[in-house]
Amino acid sequence: MRMNSKTLAILLTMGLVLAACSPSGGDATTTTEGDAAATTEGSTDTTEGSTATTEGEMEIATDVGVDLEAGTIDIGLLSDLSGGFAGLVTPIVTGHEVYWENVNANGGIEGLTVNLDIQDTGYVIDNHVQKYEEMKDSVVALGHSTGSPHTVAINDALQEDGILALPLTWYSGWTDPALNANLLHHGSPYCIEAQNVIQWLTEQMEDISTIAIVSVGGDYGLDSAAGAVLAAEGLGLEVVLDLAGGITDEASILAAADQIAEASPDLVWMTLIPSITSALFGQALANGYQGIWAGAGPSFSPAFVAPDSPIKDAVTASMYFGFYLEGWSGTSPGTEAAKELLLGAGRDIAPFDYYLEGVLEAQMMHQILQAAYDAGDMTQFGVLTAAKGFENMSFDGLGPDESYVGNPNEQLQRQTWVMKPDPDGLVAGTTGGAAIAAAAYTGSLVAEMDFTGACYVLGS
Amino acid sequence: MRGRPLLYTSYEGDQALMNTTPKKLLLGLFLAFLVAIPFQLVPVFGFLGENSWLKLLSTAAIFAIGALGLNILTGLAGQVSLGHAFFMGLGAYTAAFLGGEPGPLAGLGLPMWIWLPAAGAVAALVGLAVGPTAVRVRGLYLAFVTLGLVFIGEYIWINWTWLTGGSQSGREFPEFELRIWKEEEPLIDFASDGAWFGIELSGEAKTYLLMLALLIAFVLFAKNIQRTRVGRAFQSIRDRDIAAEIMGVDEFKYKLQAFAISSFFAGVSGALLASFVGRTIPERWNLFLSVTFIAIILIGGAGVVTGTLLGASFVILLPRIVEDVTEWLTAYVVEGTGLFVWLVDLIVVTNPEDWGIINISQGFGPGLSVALFNQVIYGLLIIGFLIFEPLGLYGIWLRIRNYWKGWPFTY
Amino acid sequence: MIPELQILAQATADPSRFANMVVDGLSLGTIYALLAVGFVIIFKATQVLNFAHGALSALGAFFVASYATIIDIPGRWMPGAPDWLVWTLAVLIALVTMALVGAALERVFLRPMVGEELFALAIVTLGLDIVLRSITNDFIAPLERPMGDPFGLGILDLGWVTIPHTQILQMIVAVVAVTAIAVFFRSRMGIAMRATAFDQEAARAQGISVGRVFSLAWAIGAVLAAIAGVFISVFPRRAAGVGPSTAFFAFAAFPAIIIGGLDSVVGAIVGGLIVGFAQAASSSYLRFEILGTGFGGVVPWLLMMVILIVRPYGLFGTEEIRRV
Repeated sequence: MRMNSKTLAILLTMGLVLAACSPSGGDATTTTEGDAAATTEGSTDTTEGSTATTEGEMEIATDVGVDLEAGTIDIGLLSDLSGGFAGLVTPIVTGHEVYWENVNANGGIEGLTVNLDIQDTGYVIDNHVQKYEEMKDSVVALGHSTGSPHTVAINDALQEDGILALPLTWYSGWTDPALNANLLHHGSPYCIEAQNVIQWLTEQMEDISTIAIVSVGGDYGLDSAAGAVLAAEGLGLEVVLDLAGGITDEASILAAADQIAEASPDLVWMTLIPSITSALFGQALANGYQGIWAGAGPSFSPAFVAPDSPIKDAVTASMYFGFYLEGWSGTSPGTEAAKELLLGAGRDIAPFDYYLEGVLEAQMMHQILQAAYDAGDMTQFGVLTAAKGFENMSFDGLGPDESYVGNPNEQLQRQTWVMKPDPDGLVAGTTGGAAIAAAAYTGSLVAEMDFTGACYVLGS
Repeated sequence: MRGRPLLYTSYEGDQALMNTTPKKLLLGLFLAFLVAIPFQLVPVFGFLGENSWLKLLSTAAIFAIGALGLNILTGLAGQVSLGHAFFMGLGAYTAAFLGGEPGPLAGLGLPMWIWLPAAGAVAALVGLAVGPTAVRVRGLYLAFVTLGLVFIGEYIWINWTWLTGGSQSGREFPEFELRIWKEEEPLIDFASDGAWFGIELSGEAKTYLLMLALLIAFVLFAKNIQRTRVGRAFQSIRDRDIAAEIMGVDEFKYKLQAFAISSFFAGVSGALLASFVGRTIPERWNLFLSVTFIAIILIGGAGVVTGTLLGASFVILLPRIVEDVTEWLTAYVVEGTGLFVWLVDLIVVTNPEDWGIINISQGFGPGLSVALFNQVIYGLLIIGFLIFEPLGLYGIWLRIRNYWKGWPFTY
Repeated sequence: MIPELQILAQATADPSRFANMVVDGLSLGTIYALLAVGFVIIFKATQVLNFAHGALSALGAFFVASYATIIDIPGRWMPGAPDWLVWTLAVLIALVTMALVGAALERVFLRPMVGEELFALAIVTLGLDIVLRSITNDFIAPLERPMGDPFGLGILDLGWVTIPHTQILQMIVAVVAVTAIAVFFRSRMGIAMRATAFDQEAARAQGISVGRVFSLAWAIGAVLAAIAGVFISVFPRRAAGVGPSTAFFAFAAFPAIIIGGLDSVVGAIVGGLIVGFAQAASSSYLRFEILGTGFGGVVPWLLMMVILIVRPYGLFGTEEIRRV
């Protein structure tokens, strides 16, 4: 069952209008009927279909992961809790948990309690595929799927099973219709982020004319490096050193630091992981390099500006980062509410931007599930349909508004937050180590960019 | 003389694969059990027929094939190798080159009956090529040479981007099928759901049956190596290399053979693993994969085929079991009432003020997360088996068997 | 002349690049040497090939971080004391802790295995590595922990080359540590350790407490690993401090050990320096596109292979004499 997105949008809007007309069920006690619902195509496992009638005489179709009788919705999370990105993904998962605990405590989604099925993949594709297999017959959708090659590895299965997943990576390929039939990305991709941050810096500082590009391999490093090259072309910067994908181990960090010091560019664009950022930054500094550093969001760690960090002042003076949502230093109603929620959850939570990413992902899923409920179809495929039809998904400023209809160019998220490390804010507890330097910035390069496909194509 | 166990009247009888009637019966029953799993015919263990369990069992079979190879090299011939992951990578990328879809990355689109044996053959050839170096160094130095192979291999895979897809990106691998040549519609498609002889089977079930068949073939292969001239030569080198040489065992030749055979198993296992998962990054073929195989043969019992099979199943299924148990414990603490709740609560951390070993709330705080707890258990098991049961799971099995042999007498 | 070789010739002629390479090589080499010496001492005295050495270095660095910054011992009892004194004391306490940890690990996990074959002992440490790394990572999470050292970004600028203060200190500490070990080997306990390494049973017959020697060897090894871990985790190498990746730094010390010969302390020092210089040289001079990325990382392994083909027991290792 394939529909183009416009048809879906129309159907969805009709659904929303109908739902708005129906009396909003204050007590949404669902009475289940035994007979199976009609709309369960698209999913292979239609074993336990059922319909329920609310007071508004609305029928809800369900198959996997939504149990109207028990009043539960199950969402799966494929998270890296023990691998290379555990430090970032663990708080994201906590964000999910805190958000849903709150929703459940306040009546859930129309009376339905949301449960999370959290599975650790260790950032290993084998485990990712295995855990997907384990959860696909019990969850209605995937709240996130960590890692790009990992998500690509289950993409065929997702399409076959008609299940929605929110990829937890900012790969530009997720905007490409060839890849994203069952994926719903959010935030500006690495490639856009690089262009935005570099352009913003050149606007702020007159004297940037040369750039060095350093990155790890894979979609993260190479997508971002491709964006930096686009930015250099568009802004007329000279690329004096291109080490895209060149950081693999200790010796390569040493080599990169030496070369940065020798080439002495005005700006270094880096797409790294925090431990490598600190190593490269430190060694380049020791070799006498004193230019500006800018990098993709995950390159930064609040540890850089912790009270005992030796590079605290140097990082504060010379580093900038992109980010995909407002972060802990934000003051929009959405962010304030999320912060209040996290701090009041009775958990061991210190300000950290990635908790908010978790809340944002959970809010996406909340809106999607609500839309699916309103449309009367909470099957796996119904949830997917609801997700792909969103014309305006808003987070009250927690993150950029998203639209999932129209051509890829209209769907592409072009807003990036530029962050500046902020040791004082970290100590005061007002930031997660970085403060906003430019909010929801869209540079002219990105605004004019015609998106035709991923900046870096993952091999198949 | 019939019916008397352990009384053999011929050498062949002693060396036969199934030398006793109970063995025949039990093995037959067990094989029937394994085959019946995907058809959901098994009582009690019916849950194994679920797709996710079938996938785990298939993974275990693939790891068992690789471990059988390492068992020949390390368990039989006594040569410690940490380089198994390198040979698996070699097999996987051979399979990708021959069987992969033609596209931006290298791939010839050849059928499985070519790429699978080729994966083993290429790995075996490379094993022969590095063999002379490996034969020259001894003992622990050999472990480091093979460890070096893994690091050099990783460097090659990362840089050979048109074949491997590059670091952290990876590539897709061919699917399991049976085709005669490059025709579009395969004769048998193991990847997708469909009916076999009128019985509706999922892709996972078909893949499981294929892996089971391959595993049985490789077990027979390994068993036959073990109980023939080559295997005896391997064991003599392991036990006393100089004595073996004096008896006319050509040490150089047999060590090379052991390397080649072990690499063949590794190559096939690597190709199967990559194709089974569907997508693999170059970093997959790292030291930790090698360590997994060492763990399998040690936990199972080095030098014994049965032990290797037990070890592979144990190592692959363990994380799932630990997860399930922790989940159960959690539910018990949260909902349960009774005498043992406070005891279990000592182990499980349920809120930030609580202390314990496992933290079930996934966040930061006291106690290990379930994922890290799993790792710790895995490490402790490797240590524990080496200290308390050097013969591994096979040793435990032997003791159980011997106990019942003499039952009701203690000896 | 091939253009790439021309570049190489020009680069070699650049004195400041060469000086920079020497500093890099020395600072990397001394870390590898510290790791390798500890490793060899453990191997010689107890016949255990310690794969958990990297995990020990990360754990040691974590203890320093926690004493110096998180729980602030002894700083909390000495307000007003100079930073360097507090930090030095914190490091010393951490090293004592590591000595106890090392001895305890040996007592609990390796003592029951005495007399087993070398391979089995080595694999026990592989299991130990997994356990220690998991627990250390859990301690460290969620963020890297800075060492809290008083050196900051201090850099000694000689005009033609720059050396961070931490690296000067590191070289001094390495020389002191190695000298201390050389002196120790001449002491009563040191001689006992050498005797045990030579022949466990004969040493026992002479009234040497072999068990105590084992514990001591592990304590020394753990302390040296911890010192290396601290210097891995300070500016400029990992300015943000100890993290999950710290443990993997020790992998590059393995080829160093083999190059020098598994059972030679001198070999470990030489091997460590060779590997450090090889990595520094390859990152300074071997920048050809054809080599791809990460070549510097495999140079030590390639060197190790070549040396093993020529000398199967490393440069300084004792050849195993095989008698029939």
